[in-house]
Amino acid sequence: MEQMKYTFNVEKDDFVLAGQASSNIKKLLRQLGIDSGIIRRLAIATYEAEINIVIHSLGGCIELEIDPSYIRVIAADRGPGIEDIDLAMQEGYSTATDKAREMGFGAGMGLPNMKRNSDRFYVRSEKGKGTVITIEMALKAGA
Amino acid sequence: MENQYFHSVILKEDRCIGCTNCLKACPTEAIRVRDGKARIIGERCIDCGECIRLCPNKAKSAVTDSLDIIKRFKYTIAIPSMVLYGQFAGNVGINEMLTAIKRIGFDEVYEAALGIDIISNVISRHILKKPDIRKPLINATCPAILRLIQVRFPELIPNIIDIETPMEITARLAKQEAVRKTGLPMEEIGVIFISPCTARMTSIRNPLGIERSYMDGVVSMKTIYGEILRNLNNGPTENLVRGTKDALLWPIIGGQSVSLGIENYLAVDGIHEVIKVLEEIEMEKLEDLEFFEGMACIGGCVGGPLTLENPFIARSRIRSLAKGLPGNQPTDEAVAHQIRMYEDGFIRLTEKIEPKEITRLDEDIAKSIKKMEMIKEMMKYLPGIDCGVCGAPTCRAFAEDIVKGENQKAICIVKTMENLKNKKNAGNGKEGQNVNQGRE
Ligand SMILES: Nc1ncnc2c1ncn2[C@@H]1O[C@H](COP(=O)(O)OP(=O)(O)OP(=O)(O)O)[C@@H](O)[C@H]1O
Ligand code: SF4
Ligand code: SF4
Ligand SMILES: [Mg+2]
Repeated sequence: MEQMKYTFNVEKDDFVLAGQASSNIKKLLRQLGIDSGIIRRLAIATYEAEINIVIHSLGGCIELEIDPSYIRVIAADRGPGIEDIDLAMQEGYSTATDKAREMGFGAGMGLPNMKRNSDRFYVRSEKGKGTVITIEMALKAGA
Repeated sequence: MENQYFHSVILKEDRCIGCTNCLKACPTEAIRVRDGKARIIGERCIDCGECIRLCPNKAKSAVTDSLDIIKRFKYTIAIPSMVLYGQFAGNVGINEMLTAIKRIGFDEVYEAALGIDIISNVISRHILKKPDIRKPLINATCPAILRLIQVRFPELIPNIIDIETPMEITARLAKQEAVRKTGLPMEEIGVIFISPCTARMTSIRNPLGIERSYMDGVVSMKTIYGEILRNLNNGPTENLVRGTKDALLWPIIGGQSVSLGIENYLAVDGIHEVIKVLEEIEMEKLEDLEFFEGMACIGGCVGGPLTLENPFIARSRIRSLAKGLPGNQPTDEAVAHQIRMYEDGFIRLTEKIEPKEITRLDEDIAKSIKKMEMIKEMMKYLPGIDCGVCGAPTCRAFAEDIVKGENQKAICIVKTMENLKNKKNAGNGKEGQNVNQGRE
């Protein structure tokens, strides 16, 4: 089976490059001939994960794994971690600063949007260590 | 579909010096330089005309019809794009320009404004009120943008307003009226569009969204300009204006949004900027947006590749000409009739616009993945400076072409030089030093 991996670094507070990883992922998937609806959903979810790393974390990376039967995106960062995942998952919950909100972030919709746009979605987080978000898309029936 | 591979944008080989200027300007990476000449990959080209505007050697040009096309028909109708109104200096009035066109040898002149007012009425009074439309609605007036969406944003195809372009609608109405008036069969009546636009030419030969165009020819605005000039002020002026103030502003970016009376709109001109905003729309980042007006050319159609006048000057002239015209105030009956024409499919995009996968590496995903691995491997060795000397717009495109088997000959000069240098350094210290010095 053919399989491949790509890794993209995401820096804390780097708003200039924010969105670059998800945009690159979108282009790669298009070249592979993945269904455009799947690409769009995955790109939206990945973008939210990417922005969360930029805004809320100390920095991290996004890994893309592609197999003919699935696509997996793993967004992992180096902390500070999410204390209460259930609370963070609630629509509208946000700890974003007023400044971030002025810039159009901090509606508390990122995590719920990720979940809504992915086929499978997991969050693991440890206070002080970091957060790992996994987004998966199935490619063929039965995958 | 008459000819799927027809393109209006072509290369005049003898003028091309292979300078690679056009490579990077192309929004779909459709150009490669091979054997010292720029080649257009037909499957990728969206006929936006960027390369025509940009080529310093005027090697890119457009296939359009010559004025001789008039002779093919018993009865001819000219439809000038309203961009024309901005091309003449001084105080030339619209009626004078239209009369001059007629004098060239056309039986009738119809302003494209006719179609514009109809589109405007049908969108604002009917389409926008439908409960199931996908927002933001995207204008279907720029064929280069339509093709761009088809190749790069297939997820946005359902957002395209399914109404024909102003010229097409005007052509249909004009032809019908001519049949009624002259009793001639449809084939004997020729409708010729006077165009600022290369993409429009392509749309007529190879229509998108409709089965067949009612336009029979396209004459470039540049070509006919001299003829019009010669015929200006050459006798009595007829009263031929039918356009409204609102319609006149359509070829200017933002004009469509304003005349539709939509509050939450975004009007973007220039194909590269349009791409950026469509990315945002595709990612659902522009939530409350109702209407997106995207035009491939700077300033809108006034900046079309087949125009002569600077788009900003043309815009200001058109604006001042518009001031003298009445507003669009249709009667309820007229609007009801126009809505019927739309619902009956007469002025509607009735054919499905299919996505076109131009960047796909292989039909089979497993094979695509394998090819992508090869590209990734190759990228490790390529310099990544996108110099264009190999004939591809970027190092990555170079690698993609090789993997797809589309590039048998080209090599990376930078890499070859480096290898050579390393080899010399390794083999003979002295000579290696010389090479280094030579490069510093
Ligand atoms: N990678 C992360 N590291 C630390 N905390 C995070 C991380 N991702 C999310 N959070 C926390 O979870 C909250 C909710 O995240 P979510 O993405 O749903 O909303 P938001 O980022 O605050 O706003 P929006 O995404 O709508 O702009 C955040 O405010 C933040 O407190
Ligand atoms: S810009 Fe393109 S078409 Fe014009 S001379 Fe250079 S390579 Fe040839
Ligand atoms: S903006 Fe106008 S002239 Fe330019 S490509 Fe689009 S329709 Fe043609
Ligand atoms: Mg967020």
